This record gives sequence, C-alpha cells and structure tokens, in this order.
Amino acid sequence: MGIFKLFKLGVQTANKKARMLIYLWLTNILFSLIVVSPVYFLLQKDFSKSLLGDQIGEGMNLIWFGDIIFKYRDFYPSLIGVFIIPAVLFFLLYIYLNGGIIGRIAAQDVKVTLSNFFSDCGKYFFRFFRIFLISLIGYFVLFGVVMKLISALFTLWTKNASTGWPQIFSSNLKLLITVLLFSIVRMFFDYVRVRLVIKDSKKTIKATLTNFSFLGKRFFKVWLLYLLVGVVVVIFSVVFIGINQILPKAGLFFIIVFIWQQLYILSKIWTKMLFFSTEYHYAKKSITN
Amino acid sequence: MKNVRLIFLFLAVISTLVLSGSRELTAQERISNISYKIKVKLDDKNKMLYGKEDITWYNRTNDEVQDIWFHLYYNAFKNEKSTMIEESKSDIMRGIRVKEGKWGWIDILKIKLADGRDLKPTMEFITKDKPEHPGDETVMRVCFPDAIKPSEEVHIQLEFQSKIPRTIARSGYYQDSYFIAQWFPKPGVYEEGKGWNCHEYHYSSEFYADFADFRVDITVPEDFVIGASGKQINAAPNEAEKTVTYTYQENNIHDFAWTADPYFIKVERDFIADKEVSQKEYEEVAGILQLPFEDVKLNDVKMILLIEPQHKGQIDRHFNALKAAIKYYGIWYGPYPYETVTMVDPPFRTRSGGMEYPTLFTAGTSILTSKDVLSPEGVIIHEFGHGYWYGMCANNEFEEAWLDEGINTYSTGKTVAWAYGPGTLPMAFNGIPLSWFLKLPIYYDYELDRAAAINVVELDPITTYSWHFINGASYGGNVYMRASTCLNTLERLVGQDVMFRILRTFQMRFRYKHPHTKDFTDVVNEVTERDLTWFFKELFFDTLDFDYGVSSLTSKKMKKYVRGIFETNGNKEEYTKQKIYELEEKNKAPEQKNVYITKVKTRRFGEAKVKGDVALKLKIIFDNDSEEICYWNGQERWKEFTFEKPAKAKYAQIDPDNIWLIDSNIVNNSIKRKPSRIGIWKLTSKLLFWTQNCFQMISGLS
Repeated sequence: MGIFKLFKLGVQTANKKARMLIYLWLTNILFSLIVVSPVYFLLQKDFSKSLLGDQIGEGMNLIWFGDIIFKYRDFYPSLIGVFIIPAVLFFLLYIYLNGGIIGRIAAQDVKVTLSNFFSDCGKYFFRFFRIFLISLIGYFVLFGVVMKLISALFTLWTKNASTGWPQIFSSNLKLLITVLLFSIVRMFFDYVRVRLVIKDSKKTIKATLTNFSFLGKRFFKVWLLYLLVGVVVVIFSVVFIGINQILPKAGLFFIIVFIWQQLYILSKIWTKMLFFSTEYHYAKKSITN
Repeated sequence: MKNVRLIFLFLAVISTLVLSGSRELTAQERISNISYKIKVKLDDKNKMLYGKEDITWYNRTNDEVQDIWFHLYYNAFKNEKSTMIEESKSDIMRGIRVKEGKWGWIDILKIKLADGRDLKPTMEFITKDKPEHPGDETVMRVCFPDAIKPSEEVHIQLEFQSKIPRTIARSGYYQDSYFIAQWFPKPGVYEEGKGWNCHEYHYSSEFYADFADFRVDITVPEDFVIGASGKQINAAPNEAEKTVTYTYQENNIHDFAWTADPYFIKVERDFIADKEVSQKEYEEVAGILQLPFEDVKLNDVKMILLIEPQHKGQIDRHFNALKAAIKYYGIWYGPYPYETVTMVDPPFRTRSGGMEYPTLFTAGTSILTSKDVLSPEGVIIHEFGHGYWYGMCANNEFEEAWLDEGINTYSTGKTVAWAYGPGTLPMAFNGIPLSWFLKLPIYYDYELDRAAAINVVELDPITTYSWHFINGASYGGNVYMRASTCLNTLERLVGQDVMFRILRTFQMRFRYKHPHTKDFTDVVNEVTERDLTWFFKELFFDTLDFDYGVSSLTSKKMKKYVRGIFETNGNKEEYTKQKIYELEEKNKAPEQKNVYITKVKTRRFGEAKVKGDVALKLKIIFDNDSEEICYWNGQERWKEFTFEKPAKAKYAQIDPDNIWLIDSNIVNNSIKRKPSRIGIWKLTSKLLFWTQNCFQMISGLS
C-alpha cells in the first residue's frame, strides 16, 4: 500500500474518532487555564482600573510591557513554578492519554466513549510509561551524542568562516537536521507504542528491540509517511499565521481571534491523532502481511 | 562662468590669508595641547604593530608638571592580571576568556626627550583605580628630569611594538581583518591642581584624552583597504616591500583609530548641506534655537563608507542613515566641523562594531535584514552622534559616562524618530529576521529606554564612576537608558524647543572642552531660567524610584441628611434611615439634580520628589464629560482632592500629559471608577494560546 493511501486511511480514522479531539482539547485548555489564571488575576488586580489596562489588549507597547516586567519582577520564580508544575503533570497525563488515543484508533469500528477511552488510557499507562523511560535513552543518544558530534562538525565548518553566511547556513541546517533526527526518534517510539497496542503485548523492551528490525526493513517509506503528516502540521501553521495576521483585533473581534486560535490548537491535536492513525495502519498492514 | 569662479577663488584665498593673519596661533590659543606624529607599520603575518611616536605636550596649567602618564591600553589584553579581565570575571557573562596564543600587548622600546635624555629608567606602571590589581599594565608613568613649567612644551619620542590581540573588545584582528583602536601610547589629561587623570582600561568604561593634532603614517600590505580618523592626505606605495604608506591628518580630535581589511569595499559620497536641508528647515530651527540663520547653516561633509562585501546591498541604507545623522545633529546641536566622516562596517568577527572614535565610527549590521527594523540605522546614527557627545563635547567617560552615552542615546532616539518614525522590534532566529514572517511590535527608542531604565534605578546612581557600577547591566541600563529617559522627561517638562536650546548651548559652549555634569546642569538652569538642580539630584545623583499615582477614586451622592443625633431647637433628635427618607421625600424639589462628592487620593509611592516650581497635574473626567484639573506639589506622601459635581467621576489621572516618563509605574497613574477587563481578556487569551501551544509541544515528547 502506498504512503498516500495510508495517509488517506489515517485521515479517515482520525476523522472518525473526532470525539477524542474534544477530550484532548478540553485537557489542553484546562491545564493552560491553570497556568494563565494567576496571571489573569494579577493583571485584573493591577490593570483593570487603570487606563493603561485598556491598552494592553491593543498589541504590544513597551510602556505597559515595561511596567509589567518591572511590577512583577519578584513574581517570576513563582510564575515559572506555575508553568513548570502543570507542564510536568500535563506531560505525564499525555503518557496516560496516548493509551486512549492509540487504543481507540485500534478499535476501528467502535464508537469512542468516555469509558472506553479512559479504560484504554488505564490499560496502557504503565506500558507506555516504561516506553517513555526507554525513550529517554533514545533522546540522550540523539542530543547527548549525535547532536554533539554534528555540532562539532558544524563548528569546524564555521570557525574559520570569513563572512556571516556559513553561520546562517550552518545554524539553519543544524536546526533542520535536529528536527529530522528528532522526528526519527519520536517516530520510532510511536511505532513501539502502536505495535504494543496491536499485539496487546506487555513486553516493552522486546517491543522496542523488535521495532529496530521492523523499521529497519521499511525505514524510508515509514519516515516519508511520518514526514507527510509533518507537512500537514506546517501547512496548518502557515494558514493559521497568515489568516491570524489579517483578522481584525480591535474591540470584541478578539473573540473571533480566540476562536481561530482554538481551531488551530484543535488542528494540532488532530494531526497528533493523524500521526498515530497512519502509524497504526502501516503497522497493522505490515503485521498482517 | 569660468571667470566668475576664478574671481571667487581669488577672493576666497585673499580673505583666508587676511582672516588667518600673518602669525600662527600660539599654543595657548590652539584647541589642542598635544600634537602627535606617529609612524606605524602593520606586520600582517605576525599580527604585530611597530611604531614611532613624537609627542609634543604643552602645559596649559599653572602647575609645574613633574611626570607624564600614558595609556598603554593594549596591555589590557596581555594577561589575566589586567584590570579589565579581572573585572570581567564578576560580570553576568562570567568574564572574558582569551584563547591561547591570542593575547595582545604593547612594549615601550624607547622613551626619551627630544634632546636625547632617556626617560625609560623612570618608567613604572600605575594602578590607582584598582590597587588590588597591581598586575595591570595599562597606565604607565615616566618622570621628567626637570619639571615642565606653565606654558612650556615638552617633546617626547617613543618607539613601541605591539602584538595585536585576537579581538576581545573593540580592537584586534580576525584572520587578515583588523580594527586598531587604543593602540598607541596616549597621555592622560593633566588637570590643574589634581594631576594626571589617566585611568586603567576598565571592563565597563570607555575613554578620556586631551584634544590633539594628529599626523599618522600607516604602512600596510598593498592589497589592504584602509580607513582612519581624519583625512587621508597621501598614499605612498613601496613596490619593493609591496606596501603602501597612507598618511592621515586631523586636528582637534582626542583619539585616533584605523582599520585595514583586504575585502573592504570603499565608497565615498558627499553630504551636500544645501541639498539635504531646506531653507524652511533652517528657518524653523533658527527660530527654535533663537539663533541667526547663518549659525544653523551646515557644512558639506565627505562621507566615506568601508563595507564588507556581504553587506554591499546595504550601502544606501548606511549613507541614508549617516545623512540623517549629519543633518539632525547638525541643525539641532551645531554644524559638524570636520571635512570627513568615515563609517566602518566592522570586519567580520572583529567585535569592533558599534564604537565611536573621532571622525570615524563602526556601525554593524547583519547579512539578512528587514527594512522595517531600523538596524543598521540606529547604530549608525548613535555612533556618528558620539562625534558630538564624546568627540567634541569630550567628557570623561570613566567618571561621567552618562554625559555622552545618555545624551547621545537621547539624541539618537530623537533623530531616529524624526528621520524614520518607529521601528520594528529587532527579532531574528538563526540569523533570519522574524519580521519577514510575523507582524512584530513597533516602538520608539524612548519606550525601550524607559522599559530598561525603571529596572536599574535602585542599583546605582547614573553619575557613578563607570567601573564602580554593580555590574555591566547596571552600567548600561543607567548610563544609556536611564539617563536618556531622564532627559526625555526633562524635555517633556521644559518643552522640546527649550531642550533643543539646552543641548545646543551645551554643545557649542563646551565644544573642544571637557565638560562635567555641573556644567550641564548650569546650562539647563541658565536656558530654562529655572533652578532645576533638584531634578538632577533626585534622578541622576541618587537611586530614588520615581512613582506618583492615584490610589483611590470614589464618587458618592451628596447627602443632605445623615444618620445620628442632632440638636434641633435645643432638643436632641435622632435621624434614622426612615426619618431621612421621609425628609428627603418631603423636601424634594421637582427638578432637583443629584450632586456627587468625588474624592481622589494621590500618592507618592516612590522616594523621588518633584521640587522647585514643578507640580503634578491631576485630571478628573466625569460622566458628563466635564473635567477638573488641579495640581499637587507632591511633597507629602499623599493628598486627597474633593469635588462636588452633578456627575460621578469616570476616571482620575495624575500626570495626564505623560511628562514623567521616568515614573516606574504608569499603571497606577490612573484609576477608573468602573473597571474594564476587555484589554486584560485580550492579553490573557493570547497568553492562553501560547501556553496551549507549549503544552501541545510537550505532549509530543510523551
């Protein structure tokens, strides 16, 4: 089966499971609200009765921005804490939710309900958590070893440069390489999870090891499929930025902007589901064959 | 036509001879009290300079001078005992780390009087600023066999060799590109009754020297393109050695820098004053400055640009910015008096960008730029502006750096705003300007300056010695941004036209002199005809936060009757709620309007106070759109204002004209009776969106 057909199947599956989109969006916005709420209350306390408060919604202005930076300088450590703690919890929560996402994708013809979604979340949580721990090795190899070697090569290239061009090329090329290598590591562990669900196995280490041979045999096809979904993310982002820039923002128009922003978040969540569903179809097809 | 030109030329020559007279200016009459004749040779292979220097120093004071102190600034790059490198270790950036083999130094091979008497045996290094760093070798002292009496001259001959550092700060090389500054033995400034003012090379400081006449011969390999302070008067190739000796000359400047790079593209253009400034503009400025028309007329200037090939596409941007700077600094503060100005796009990785030297400055740009971001324009205008504030009005940058950096940051902001309007925030990712893809915020320099200024108020006074600031951020924040913000505040207080007159008077009165803060405050008081000394005491000499605000606003219906016991015809009677209601109903006039008591409480949250004839304006706007204006002298911690009006107050605002830009908390300058949250909703929704994106990214790692 060609990658475009797999991609199409993935899109159909992601669309069929649209209810998950709502669960995941709610999770995302609730956690974000936990972070943003203290900031909102601080601003409300200090700015709602000030004339400057009317300006802060009208785009960046260094007068009010300077005031905020100065006024809340003692709050930064606690504000960072307010972000870090929910971020860690959100991360752990997503390990849990991934079980539900892949589990429901795998249950092709079953309607998504809260109970079957969270049942899958619970069922796969510890397996996925172990995979997360194993994935740390992968990320360590990527960032601690491979990227350091690549950085050293780039430094050799740029250290005797005579103009700024090599620096610009190298830093952007390095970024591209980082993104591509990161996508490989991420894709690798996605397939470990997906194959665990398909086989309903608990042997995470074995699944990780066998995944090498699974991906090794069909690496470029699998990666191309993964990158194809990545292109969808880029397209969504470009469309979002383009339209966001022309949307009116004055007065209550910000509600339209807010809705547009939430649509973009939904599109990101949807593409996350699309990653899993295309991977599922590929892995399923390979295992069946 | 040709004949007319010849007649004019003849008349001009005659008049010049008549005006200059038959005698030369005496040393006392000359601006400069030093003259330098320097010959220097660049050894590209070994990264060395070999120099010979003849100095004539004239004693303008009434002191008998026993010794002479020199800056030997290349020794700042000699080892880790230098004051500059020691000081850098306590900076946020954790200090300068020099790569092995990349140190720089200067050796005095010979130093003698013109009559042959050797001064070298008396040579010693002085570490007066930082006795705790005795290893510093950036200040050298030699003693004269006989004291130099008032009005006497002394002729000193030196030979030196220097190892050029791989650039650490401002001066040095990268590959075969050089920027050479602070490179020759340069005497300090002798101050009557005080002795030599000659500071070590500090991490957070710039420089100070006397006005001098320079003639410098620079010998470089023949394929190098060079630029230097002053005017090139000769180029002598030596075919046998494959070198060229360039001769540069300039009078009345206090430093000399040069650059050499085989890849430079050299472009020359003329600033034609009559083309750049219209008659109307001259007339307007003459009116504002209250000067005769002729006094504001500008001179033509030769503009020289040395630019790196990769920035070739930005040649016009460089010249346009320089023209704006010559024009606005010229008409506002006084004509640029030198014939040339050299603008250097700093050679790659020489870390020499954004620095000023007399008649030469370094700019700095990126390969990829956006037209909306005012870079390199901002840096060009700023560094050219130093030709005025530092170059001609030559304050001691060690001791009162704000006098050039602060005034010049203020002047840059004004010039950029007049010539270009607001700029876009300069944000880039991996060398790619983000403004290519995103609509970034726009800002004026004064807004950025204020945002930085309010964060450093409590660290150090603006007038702190440069090397005594707690760290580099405080030095930069106070000397540049806070000083500029205070000057913007002063401008709003006295008016823009008066501010132009202040700076014009200060520039022209102290041109070719070494002014102090006191001189500036005297000029301010003189031009404004007010005593504003307090303004400087509060905001420049101290660390007092300036924060006035409005802390409460209430509007309540005025009651004719209130609850309690009252004497009526000798009887005690209680006014209850019910009784009051009945009385009000009974006495209600058919068309009676409500009257409201509005109370506004203003507060001085900060320690800094307004003084003298200055009062803070308070504006109250009422629901019926009427307004009340009153003034508060701001001496007490708080004051309550009461108004009786037929409408409730909408809002109260202190300093409604935003005069006090230095106020650290503009949020509390106004208070509305009813809160509005739409702005906060908007900002919070943006924050929410970005947080959601961050969380979604985090989910990708799980």
